[in-house]
Amino acid sequence: MEGQITGTQGMRWLAQRETLRVSKLWTQTVLAPVISSLLFILVFGLSLGDRVRNVGTVEYDQFIVPGLIAMAMVQAAFANNASTIFQARAERYINDILSSPMHPWQMTIGFVVGGVFRGLLIGGSLLAAAFLLTGVPLENPAALALTAVLCLVLFAAFGTVVGIFAESWDNTTFIGNIVILPLAFVGGTFYSVALLPSPWEELSHFNPIFYMVQAMRFGLLGESDVSIWLSLGVTAALAIPAYLWAQWLFSSGRKLKD
Amino acid sequence: MYRDESYGRPALELRGLTKRYDDGTLAVEDFDLEVPAGAFFGLLGPNGAGKTTVISAVCNLIRVTAGEVLVFGEPISSLRARSWIGLAEQDINLDRFLSVRETLIYHGGYFGMGREEAEERAEEMIDAFDLRSKRDVVAPKLSGGQRRRLLLARALMHRPRLVILDEPTAGVDYELRQELWLYIRRLHAEGTTILLTTHYLEEAEELCEEIALIRGGKLLARDSAHGLRERYSATNLADVYVKAMAEV
Repeated sequence: MEGQITGTQGMRWLAQRETLRVSKLWTQTVLAPVISSLLFILVFGLSLGDRVRNVGTVEYDQFIVPGLIAMAMVQAAFANNASTIFQARAERYINDILSSPMHPWQMTIGFVVGGVFRGLLIGGSLLAAAFLLTGVPLENPAALALTAVLCLVLFAAFGTVVGIFAESWDNTTFIGNIVILPLAFVGGTFYSVALLPSPWEELSHFNPIFYMVQAMRFGLLGESDVSIWLSLGVTAALAIPAYLWAQWLFSSGRKLKD
Repeated sequence: MYRDESYGRPALELRGLTKRYDDGTLAVEDFDLEVPAGAFFGLLGPNGAGKTTVISAVCNLIRVTAGEVLVFGEPISSLRARSWIGLAEQDINLDRFLSVRETLIYHGGYFGMGREEAEERAEEMIDAFDLRSKRDVVAPKLSGGQRRRLLLARALMHRPRLVILDEPTAGVDYELRQELWLYIRRLHAEGTTILLTTHYLEEAEELCEEIALIRGGKLLARDSAHGLRERYSATNLADVYVKAMAEV
């Protein structure tokens, strides 16, 4: 190759490769998580919703939508990047990227884009379906968009880190199933933590996913248990070091290069 | 043709290259090597000699402990140097989600090609490596020979100035081996530098203008096949190899 090499072209192609992977596997990467979240809305919201009291002024079937969307998006972003990196490492085709004329920061962006793309596809699909099923409003689109991007960058970057450290498929699924899923369930998706007795209410505030659910709820319903600024601040405070960690792994080559 | 300050510099310069792996294994130590531009250069040695470590250092695939790697005068940390290298690894490492055509196009993209250029070049490589009927087939569904051809096509996709072939014909049948060498010879005749590792000594003897023998991460000898035969009073490269390795 002649001419000026900046790595920008390579970064675009890597991002495109990651989104292509999501698109090729759409039944696994998008359809399955959308269906499972819709089942939650149908079963908990529409079937049981009539028997559950409103939460504040919000009907229960709408109340659970933001948390379910947040949960589906962050789990997908994490799983996407953990699996794409782990598989590329295990089958060594990551060497094609590591040997290419790209800066490490460009590789990090290229991979993170895949997780963000998958999360947005799922979030967008769920939002559209939830609007049709429950009539959930969209009160603060800017807050919702910012929340979605911060959450997705955080979990795509964290997935990248786990994918780089993982020694087996079990390692990647362990974090998703044993850490992220339980935290999402107790993060106020199905209830307002203000209704919990002490110390559970206070303990909920140590759960990072609680703030993401609250920010998402503010974006959609216009209300949440804590300030939107606190929620965004906590999410950003986690997203930045997670991203820098992923970036450091690409820069140092640790666990990626012998 | 390339006409910048890198023109006229050796294709590859390794100076004091040392690599100690995390488990303490010292794969190469204070290793120096220079490969002239335009050469067909062979790197021979037994398993564990350090060949793949040297190649990995040149291709930015390991964290070098000490030393310097220059490609056409540029340090390997520069994007320019990396864009000049094409690598076909010993193990088949093709992206399982991409078809033959996509494998080539995306590789071209990673190495700085625009879409149109990459698409055009991919079609050229598909024909050159007889992969037309498998153009839209994903790598895991290809036969062993087709995968090997695709691996080589991928290495050459971005028109590298230095092509590194790590055991390119391992496990390849005779017919395909002849085909691959025909293509590589043509490439070399056009001015591309080739760095080859192989266990087929007769292949190295026939193809390589210069050969370096390494063992235990150290350079044992370096010369043309003729020079090595004379130095070791051997009739062929296989004899040279046996004698050189026995000296250590």
